[in-house]
Amino acid sequence: MDVSQYLEIFLDETNEHLTNLNTRIMELESDPENMDTINEIFRAAHSLKGMAGTMGFKRMQNLTHDMENVFSEVRNGVIKVTSEIIDVLFQCLDALEEYKDNIQGSADEGTNDNEPIIRMLNSILNQGKDGESPAGKTPAKEAAPAQESASGNKWDSVVLDDSQVNVIREAQKQGKRVYGLNVSVQESCILKAARAFLVFKAVEERGEIIVSDPSAQDVEDEKFDRDFTLIILSDAELDEIITSCEAVSEIDKVVGAEIDLANNKSAKVIADEEAEAAAEAAAAEEDASKEAEKTEPAAAPAAASAAASAAPAAPAAKAEPKKQTPAKPVVNRTVRVDIEKLDSLMNLVSELIIAKNSLVSVSSQEQTDVNSAFNEQIEYLESVTTNLHESVMKVRMVPIESVVTKFPRMIRDLSKKLDKKMELYMTGEETELDRTVVDQIGDPLMHLLRNSADHGLESAEVRIQRGKPAAGSIFLDAYQEGNTVVIEVRDDGNGIDVEAVKQKAIDRGIITLEQAANMPDKEIIDLLFLPSFSTAKKVTDVSGRGVGLDVVKSMIESLSGEVEVKSKLGEGSTWTIRLPLTLAIIQALMVVVGEEKYAISLGSIQTLEDVPASEVKLVQNKEVIHLRGTVIPLIRLNEVLDVERKPVNEENLIVVIVKKGDKQAGLVIDELIGQQEIVIKSLGKYIKQCKFISGATILGDGEIALILDANTLI
Amino acid sequence: MELSINNNQIALDDEKGRNEGESIQYIVVRLGEEQYGIDIRNIDNIVKMQRITRVPKLPAYLKGVINMRGEVIPVLSIRLKMGLEADEITKATRILIVKLEEEGNVGFIVDEVKEVVTLYEADIERISSDITAEKGNLINAVGKHNGELISLFDLAAISLEEN
Repeated sequence: MDVSQYLEIFLDETNEHLTNLNTRIMELESDPENMDTINEIFRAAHSLKGMAGTMGFKRMQNLTHDMENVFSEVRNGVIKVTSEIIDVLFQCLDALEEYKDNIQGSADEGTNDNEPIIRMLNSILNQGKDGESPAGKTPAKEAAPAQESASGNKWDSVVLDDSQVNVIREAQKQGKRVYGLNVSVQESCILKAARAFLVFKAVEERGEIIVSDPSAQDVEDEKFDRDFTLIILSDAELDEIITSCEAVSEIDKVVGAEIDLANNKSAKVIADEEAEAAAEAAAAEEDASKEAEKTEPAAAPAAASAAASAAPAAPAAKAEPKKQTPAKPVVNRTVRVDIEKLDSLMNLVSELIIAKNSLVSVSSQEQTDVNSAFNEQIEYLESVTTNLHESVMKVRMVPIESVVTKFPRMIRDLSKKLDKKMELYMTGEETELDRTVVDQIGDPLMHLLRNSADHGLESAEVRIQRGKPAAGSIFLDAYQEGNTVVIEVRDDGNGIDVEAVKQKAIDRGIITLEQAANMPDKEIIDLLFLPSFSTAKKVTDVSGRGVGLDVVKSMIESLSGEVEVKSKLGEGSTWTIRLPLTLAIIQALMVVVGEEKYAISLGSIQTLEDVPASEVKLVQNKEVIHLRGTVIPLIRLNEVLDVERKPVNEENLIVVIVKKGDKQAGLVIDELIGQQEIVIKSLGKYIKQCKFISGATILGDGEIALILDANTLI
Repeated sequence: MELSINNNQIALDDEKGRNEGESIQYIVVRLGEEQYGIDIRNIDNIVKMQRITRVPKLPAYLKGVINMRGEVIPVLSIRLKMGLEADEITKATRILIVKLEEEGNVGFIVDEVKEVVTLYEADIERISSDITAEKGNLINAVGKHNGELISLFDLAAISLEEN
């Protein structure tokens, strides 16, 4: 999959995290005990690691992983922050900066493993706890497979399927020569894929590539370490082919020999199978299907190589050491605009709407002698401002596609890493959200998906025992619902084990035994969103440090959204994120409570009802009304808001029915004003504790009305 | 009598334009009988008393919000904040719009805005920190001007304190 289109986002975010880390580590140096700073550093490192992993920048991921390990121990109080540690951390940041610069310049992270720094990090870790060093394994891990296959000729360990074996046999019968070729790229080579292409091209001029390991597609995507193996049919001499390959610059070494199928392990298997086909049909079939699975990635070499030779210009162009920005098909002519310019445009539109609203209120006050032309013009102005607002808003809207398309690749990688089979199903990628929201929704979604993959889904064995298909399913659904956009991450895994969460919370001293006994399941599940809470038994680099969910919650809340989780043990979990469609201007219902005016977002309102006072019933000493078969709790706004109730019509109550998810409540108000487009203004940082007021708006006459957040009232 | 002689001396000194450290301009406001000063660099605007929209569930000294040129700004009663009796709104009552570093603009209700004075470092006496640490104390220095004492607000205390 091509991730280069996210390179810009990745670079932006990396910049942000690195700057953040730099300042935080400075802070840490002067105040080594500050838990907030440590948590912040930890989160930034964690996000950085996740992003690097998603983008396939392995070295960067390794380094951040080890950094994160150190922070984890600092956070747990095992390691004390010293100036030496700070020095090493700054070296890490410099190294990360270098990776970033490389990526910015060439879309490749470079080849520096920064092993000295990783060693230092590990020695810090080991000082903290004399024992296993979990990070030491990382650089070695990658080297291992290469060494393993270094013994013997690599082409002999290439896995072949039946048809390939047949082709080779046929060719050999016809007197063609079949060569195995192993090509190593220089370690310093930056554009490995481009070099590989030139090698492919050179080989194809002299013969036909039957098998490539890794597959041609993977080679093209640079998914190979330093070398790749080809099996080719050719009339030419081996030396000639090797020389032509070596002519490609930055190629380290080319070794080759004529192939003897007898030496090839998988070919042997196939030969054996054929021989024993009759005898051990069942066993052989199983083997064969395994083989088939393994060779699947290599199944398309012929097609790929054909394409490559058909378009020789493409690899040549790619070889240019310039930033890889694949030319997108021209669909619409676009202009890139700085988001700040759009913000200021949006602010101006808001001002215009306020001005328009005041004109409207002036004209309605002096109805009699104002001439009709004036009213007409005001109506015209009204429609223009509404359209203007809509267009500006639309300009800021982008489909969430740009964020979610990187997830299938991530799930694929996770599937391998966790050794679980899983499949990601996505719908509603075209759902649009404000650009600022889209930019920031990626991280939380990534955390949730990883969470589902790691904690949610069971291993294949357990799944089969439970009568589920072996491969787990993760669903990502996005859709618009009224004034909000809903994004659901759902899995058919184990669900949340409430008892385990409860036990963990007690162990960690988050709740007491008595509290636990009385807590409803839902509240216990909500504990998962607390910082430092993780039910995973072991720490993996996928998730399980408890850093994810609290970050998810705070990030979503910073976008004025909310997240909730529903789960059924054994059946799976659903994480639901609700985000406002737009952040600045909403349609609202204006109401009066006592002497005060309040706005309620139209998005959360279901209906308006006139309820005779006699129909209000008491259930468990709380007022409820019966409405079309459902019992809805009543909330008297004058009580909640500490407003003196006007002695108005006591016979009938005006009730605004609001909903949040599947919950409903009836808000009792004194008077209705009507529907109005309002501009949301913040109350400022100075006013914090009023939970159910989400902001304020300025009315046509300059007066301020507060915006009620119905969600917090339910 | 002694006091007034003292006054004259200070006044004389002022006219000479001594160089006794940096000079800072303060806006002098009246709360009850006392005078208070706020560094003029922190003042965004001074407006007449206007309708304040109440915000529920706030501590008593936070009176609500006002509309300042399209911006919603919280207004607090300095009197209540300092534990004095509630404001008495008169024609002289003003709202001082003060720029706080962290929280942005905040309005202070004062009984009257009197004048702008220039104080030199030498005229300002810091108050010891055990008093400033006390809850409800918003003053961290006292300035002398024309023989009168002006208590100087510590804006950091206003912004830091949990409200």
